[in-house]
Amino acid sequence: MSALVLRAGRRSFRVERRTLWLSAILLGTILALGFVGLCYGGATWASPGEVLAALTGAADSVVIVEWRLPRVVAAMVFGCALGAAGAIFQTLTRNPLGSPDVIGLDAGAYTGALFAFTVLAGTSGQLAVSSVLGGLLVAALIYLLSLSNGLSGLRLVVIGIAVNAMLQALNSWIVLRADLEVAMAAGAWNAGSLNGVDWADLVLPLPILAGLLATLLVWFRPIQQSTLGDAVAATTGVGLDRLRLMMVLIGVGCTATVTAVAGPIAFIALAAPQIGRRLARTPGVALLPAALTGAVLLLTADLLAQMLLSPESLPVGVVTTAIGGCYLIWLLTQEVRRR
Amino acid sequence: MFTRRSARFGGALLLAIAVAATGCGTSESQDTEGETRVFAADNGEITIPADPQRVVATGYAVPALIEADAPLVGISTWKRGLPMMTKQDRARYDELEKVAGEQATETNYEAIAGADPDLIVIGVPQPVLGDIDVERLESIAPVVAIGPTVPSAWRENTKKQADAAGALAKFDETKSEYEGKAEELAGKYEDVLPDLKLAHVGSYGEVDSGNFQREFNDSWGTNVANDIGANYYGEVKEKGGGSQDVSEYPSIEELPSAFAEADAITYSVEADGTPPPAVQYVLDSELWKDLPAVKADKAFPIPLTEAATYRQAMQALDALDESLAPLLEK
Amino acid sequence: MISTETRPAPTSTARWHVAVLVGGFALLAAVAVVSIGIGAQAVPPMDVLRALVAPDGSANQLIVLEVRAPRALLAIGVGAALGVAGVLIQTLSRNALAEPGILGVSTGAGFAMTIGAALGGVASPAAELLVATLGAAGATLLVYAVGRTAPLRLVLTGVALSAVLSGISLGLRLMSPDVFDKYRFWSVGSLAGREQAPLLVPMLAIGLALVGALLLSRSLNAAALGEAVARTLGANIARVRLATLVLITVLAGAATAVAGPILFVGLIVPHVARRLARGSVPWLTGYALVLGPLLMLLADIGSRVLLPTGEVPVAIVTGFLGGPMLIWAVRKYGAGSL
Repeated sequence: MSALVLRAGRRSFRVERRTLWLSAILLGTILALGFVGLCYGGATWASPGEVLAALTGAADSVVIVEWRLPRVVAAMVFGCALGAAGAIFQTLTRNPLGSPDVIGLDAGAYTGALFAFTVLAGTSGQLAVSSVLGGLLVAALIYLLSLSNGLSGLRLVVIGIAVNAMLQALNSWIVLRADLEVAMAAGAWNAGSLNGVDWADLVLPLPILAGLLATLLVWFRPIQQSTLGDAVAATTGVGLDRLRLMMVLIGVGCTATVTAVAGPIAFIALAAPQIGRRLARTPGVALLPAALTGAVLLLTADLLAQMLLSPESLPVGVVTTAIGGCYLIWLLTQEVRRR
Repeated sequence: MFTRRSARFGGALLLAIAVAATGCGTSESQDTEGETRVFAADNGEITIPADPQRVVATGYAVPALIEADAPLVGISTWKRGLPMMTKQDRARYDELEKVAGEQATETNYEAIAGADPDLIVIGVPQPVLGDIDVERLESIAPVVAIGPTVPSAWRENTKKQADAAGALAKFDETKSEYEGKAEELAGKYEDVLPDLKLAHVGSYGEVDSGNFQREFNDSWGTNVANDIGANYYGEVKEKGGGSQDVSEYPSIEELPSAFAEADAITYSVEADGTPPPAVQYVLDSELWKDLPAVKADKAFPIPLTEAATYRQAMQALDALDESLAPLLEK
Repeated sequence: MISTETRPAPTSTARWHVAVLVGGFALLAAVAVVSIGIGAQAVPPMDVLRALVAPDGSANQLIVLEVRAPRALLAIGVGAALGVAGVLIQTLSRNALAEPGILGVSTGAGFAMTIGAALGGVASPAAELLVATLGAAGATLLVYAVGRTAPLRLVLTGVALSAVLSGISLGLRLMSPDVFDKYRFWSVGSLAGREQAPLLVPMLAIGLALVGALLLSRSLNAAALGEAVARTLGANIARVRLATLVLITVLAGAATAVAGPILFVGLIVPHVARRLARGSVPWLTGYALVLGPLLMLLADIGSRVLLPTGEVPVAIVTGFLGGPMLIWAVRKYGAGSL
C-alpha cells in the first residue's frame, strides 16, 4: 500500500495514502455538517449568507455565534474525543466491544453526578467535578482489579462490566431513594445532551481535550504496535505497562471531560473506531479516522436530535444510542457471518 | 492536527464574540424600555417590566397563566395538566406556540428567543432549575423562577406567577370564586365532615411496588378537601422537608396499623374514575378489605388530586362534592 | 470448565449427596420461616407460627399469609429458576462466566414485556409469560450465536445487548413518559408487591421447566463431556442443546416476568454448587435447586433489613453480591480463555 512518511523532529508518522484521503473527506464532511448545524437551530433555518456574515463579523448574530457555534464546536471536539477514547480502549483490549461506555466509566460518572445532585446542591460546577472524579475513581478501580501478572485487555473489559453492574445497582438505589424532581433532573443529565452548551462551558474542556488528543497522536502508534508483540515496545524506550496506563488515563480523561459537560453520550466511542477502520480498510483501529468519524457521528446525531421532534428536541444521547444500537447489531451479525 | 485547526478556529471566534457581545448590549437596552419593578422570585430579586406584554411560560406556570389570561406568546408543553383544562383554556393552550417540551434539559432557547418575550416565567421545581441555562434565558428577557414546593403551595405560587405576568385581575376573580364555592361546601358538610378522622391513599410521586402512599393534611390529595373542613388525622413519622412533611410511603404491611383508627378513607383516582396502579394495588389487597372503614363502606374515591390552580381546584371541589355525597345521606 | 475431580466410590458419593441435599432443604425451610417472620410491620413470632398452623384471620395473620408467604414462595421459585438456568447456560456454553442476567436474557425478557405492555395487548399473566419467554429466547439466540466462541466474548455480547436495550428504553421513556413508565418496575428486579399478581401460570411454568432440567441433566452430563463421548453414550447432542436452550429461556423468561431482571443469582449459584457436585451435572442441578432459593430468600431478607425504613429492591442486593463474584470468577477462569 502506498504510504506517506511525515517527519517531525525525531518522530516520524507513516500514514497510508488511503487514510490521508479518507481523513480529508471526513474533515470536509465535518465542516459541511458543522455549517448545516450553524444554519439550523430552534426549528428555524438561517441562510448560508447570514451564517457567513455572522462568522466573519460582518453581521451581529448572538444566536449563531454564541448559541449555535459553541454547540457545533462541542459536537466536533467531543465527537473526536469520544472516537479517540474508543480507539484507545479497542486497541488495548483488542476487542471491538471495548469502549468506555460498555466497561462502566459512564456508570461511575453517573454515580458522581448523582452524588452532586443528592448530597451537594447540583450546580453545574459540582456536577462536572464529581462526575469526572467518579469516572476516574472507577477507572482506577477497574485498572487495579485487572492487574495480575500484567494487564490483560479482555479481563479489563469484563471486570469493568462487573464493576459497572455494582455501580448500576448503586445508582438505581440512589435514584429510587431520591425526590421525584431530583430523580428527573438526574435522569435527564444521564441521557446526555449538548443543549445549552455555551462558550463558558467550553473554556476549560477544549484546551484539556486538545492536550490529550495531541499527546495521543504522538503515542498511539507505539501502543498499537505493542499489541502486535511486546518486543516492539522495547524500541520505543518506554515500559509497556506504563505506556498502557498512560493510554488508559488519556482515554478516561477524554471520556470524563466530555461527560462533565454533556453527560454520558453513549455508543460514539463504541461505533466510531470500527466504522473508521472499515472506511480506512486498515487492519487495526486507526486513530485519525476513528476521531474524525466520531465527530461526524456526533454532529449528525445532534442535528437529528434537534430535527426529529422539532420544535422540541431530544437529548443527543438518545439518538446516539439508537444509531449505535443499529450499528452494534450490524457489527454482531457481520462477525457471525465471517465465521 | 484537528486540534490545531480548532484552536485557530477558536481564536477567530473570540473576535466574532467580542463583536457580537457589543451588539447584544444594544439590543438589551431596547427591551428594558418602559417602567420596571423588582420582583422576588426563587432565583432572587429580579427587575421585570411593570406591565409585561409578551410572556413565555414553562412548567407549572403554563396552566396558571393561561387561566389568568396573561399576555402569553409561548409556552412549554404541559401534558399532565390537559385533562383538567376547560375547553376555552384548552383551545388557548393548543393555539399558543410551544417553545419547550416536558423536559427542562431540552428547553429550546432559540424558539424562546424567536417568540421575542419581555418576561419569562419558569415554573419548575428548584432541582430541575439546574438543567436550564438561566443566564442564556436572561439574555433574552428577565427570568422569574417560581416553582412548586409543598403540595398546598400552589395557592401562593400561582398568585406570584400571575402577579409577575401582570394578570392579577383575572386571577383574583377566579380565586374569590373558588373561595366562595369552598365556603358553600364547607357549610353543606358542616355536620359530618369536621368530626371524621380521615385518611388518604395517594398515588403521587414514585410509589415503590409493595408500598402505598399515605397523605396527611395539606398534601396533594387532601389540600382541597381541607378547604371544606376535612381533617386528615396523624402526621408523617419522619419529616423529610417539603412534600415529605405531609405524605409518606409505608409498606403495605403497615396498612392495618396506619388506618385502624380512620372513620373514613379517601383515595386518589384518575379524572375518569379509574384508580392508578399504585392505588389499585392497595384496593386489591386483602389487608384493605379488612380495614374497619372499608368494612363500614366509608371509602371514597377523589379525582383531580393534582389540581394546582384555582380553576382546576374548583373542578376538584365539584368532584369532592360528588364523592362525599353518601356522607350526607344519614 | 467443569472439573472432573477424583471421585469416591459411586454409592458413598450418592449417599453423601443425598445427605447434603436433605440438609440443604432443611436449611431452606428454616430460612423461609425466618423470611416470613421479617417485615416492615412487627409481627410476634408466635403469631407467625400460629398463622401457618391455625389461621384465625387477624390483621397480623393476614400480613403473614397474604403478603409474606406468597413473597417467600416467589423468592423460592425465582431463585430456583435463575440458579438452574445458570447451571444450564454454564454447562451448555462451557463458560464459567455465563449467567442469564449478564448475558442479557433477563434484559431481553424485561424489554419485550415493556414493549408488549406499551403497545397494549399484554395483560393476562399467560400473555406476559409468553412475551417474556419470547424476549428471553430472542436475546439468548442472538447472544449465543454471536458469542459462543469464547467465554469472555459471550459476556461482552450479552452486556452490549443489555446496554442497547436499556438505552432504547431510556429514549422511549423520555419521549413518552406516561406509556413507558411501567418500565421503571422492570428495570430493577424486586419481589415486593407482587403478592396479588397471578403467579400460578409462571410458577407452574418454572416448576415444569425445573422437572425438565432434572430429566435432561443426565444427557447434558454426557454432552458436556464432548461430542465424541456423547455419541458413544447415545445422546443426541443437537436435541439436547435445543432442549436446554428452551428450558433456559422458559426459566429466565418466567423469573423475569414475575420479578423483573435479577442479575448474578445464576452466576453465584452454579459456582457454589459446583464445589459440592464434584463434576456431575445431575447433582449440580439438584444443588442449584436448593441453593438458588436459599440465596434469593437471604437476598430478599437483606432487601428488607438493609435500610432503617423502606426496602432496597432485591436485584440491587444481588448486584452488590454478584459484582465481586464476577470479578473473582474472571480472575480465576478468565485468564485461560484470552
